[in-house]
Amino acid sequence: MFTSVTISLLEGFLGTLKLFSLTLLFSLPLGLIISFGSMSKNAVVRVPIRFIIWVVRGTPLMLQLLIFFYGPGIFFGVNLWGAGDSGRFTAALVAFVFNYACYFSEIFRGGIQSIPKGQYEAAAVLGLTKSQTFFKIVLLQVVKRIVPPISNEVITLVKDTSLARVIAFYEIIWEGERFIKSAGIIWPLFYTGVFYLIFSGLLTLLFGYIEKRLDYFK
Amino acid sequence: MAILEVHELKKKFDEDEVLKGISFNMEKGQTLSILGSSGSGKTTLLRCLNLLETPDEGTITVNGDLLFFANVKQLKEDELRKKRLHFGMVFQQFNLFPQYTALENVILAPKLVKKDMESAEILERGKVLLNKMGLSDRMDNYPHQLSGGQQQRVAIARALALNPDILCFDEPTSALDPELTGEVLKVIKELSEQNTTMIIVTHEIAFAREVSDEIIFMDQGVIAEQGPPSQVIDNPNNERTKQFLSNYLK
Ligand SMILES: Nc1ncnc2c1ncn2[C@@H]1O[C@H](COP(=O)(O)OP(=O)(O)O)[C@@H](O)[C@H]1O
Ligand SMILES: [Mg+2]
Repeated sequence: MFTSVTISLLEGFLGTLKLFSLTLLFSLPLGLIISFGSMSKNAVVRVPIRFIIWVVRGTPLMLQLLIFFYGPGIFFGVNLWGAGDSGRFTAALVAFVFNYACYFSEIFRGGIQSIPKGQYEAAAVLGLTKSQTFFKIVLLQVVKRIVPPISNEVITLVKDTSLARVIAFYEIIWEGERFIKSAGIIWPLFYTGVFYLIFSGLLTLLFGYIEKRLDYFK
Repeated sequence: MAILEVHELKKKFDEDEVLKGISFNMEKGQTLSILGSSGSGKTTLLRCLNLLETPDEGTITVNGDLLFFANVKQLKEDELRKKRLHFGMVFQQFNLFPQYTALENVILAPKLVKKDMESAEILERGKVLLNKMGLSDRMDNYPHQLSGGQQQRVAIARALALNPDILCFDEPTSALDPELTGEVLKVIKELSEQNTTMIIVTHEIAFAREVSDEIIFMDQGVIAEQGPPSQVIDNPNNERTKQFLSNYLK
């Protein structure tokens, strides 16, 4: 029994992992782009972007999932996401990427804006180009500052992936819950928690390591 | 020929005219100190020379090269960078790059900017400069491991590494604890004795008197008085200069 439960849960966890890693892959770069937009000197760019960030951060991810999933069909009569499980996955991924990109963008913005003006001026009087200034001076300082908040968001994301079941996306809790109905046992559900704990534990170690590696300067 | 000629330089922030027509010349190898009370426009003047601020009017000429005149406000980034390299700048707050060691701070810009120099040569020169600053045992320290006085000396070496025509200091000791100002003033004095062309904004009157060939006293965006220390500091004509000096010399 234990082995077969473990195998089913692993399968479910694969879904969780897939959503988790693809969300990170797309939302981090998108978040950087959005952060540049939110710092734009041009109000036509900045204001709508800040508005969208406000809406996305101010409403539940669960709600956004439902709207992304059902919205296109109901409002426009198009089946944007395609049929079946892959359609559900795509819808969930898009909603997650959008949501997390907005959160990340605020972290990036905070990090970039926290670099003192003096760093840019010192680089300028030394004749560095804008891109040299960004890549050689600013970037690593920003990275150092954003690792802790990014780490928080990433660990939240691990757990947030379970929300995708609201649009019937197949993931580990879904799998664990199945055993209540099929076999009348609840421990697989607790067992799913172990998966989360181990995975977020590993991530905590990883981010701790990165923070340590960046400890050599202040 | 003068190494630097500044003519009728003006700068406004919104309606606030901070520089109201500054003109002066300086010779190669000279040390020029700029005194004046807080808010008189000293920092703005240095920032205009470095083109960190764009002046509204006037001209800046270095070595006979017209660096700035008001009609070319929209300088291309490339040209702007080249022009800036005539000046070195030492900031009040040091502004070292925290993720680089002292030596890396000094050689970073030459490596990126001086394409014609060998990196071994750049490294060697960086070490020589830090030696000169009395930091031979601190080259591999990061800025947060250094005292303020040491950081400022690294910043001076960093500015010198690009061989600027004119080295500018904006209150280089104002952010330092009193017991650390001496070590920084000492290296600036040595540079002055070696005929490095320098413009020093400072509140250290005694120091300015000792090292300067020329003193400018600024007041509310104009040069109120200019001349050798024996005149401006010892025998000021201007009422504002007298008042300022009496505040500082007690
Ligand atoms: N970026 C700026 N925007 C608006 N006002 C400024 C700016 N920089 C300086 N000023 C004003 O210009 C005046 C002169 O400043 P500054 O050049 O820093 O004087 P100093 O260095 O002699 O103390 C001050 O009144 C200051 O408030
Ligand atoms: Mg100042």
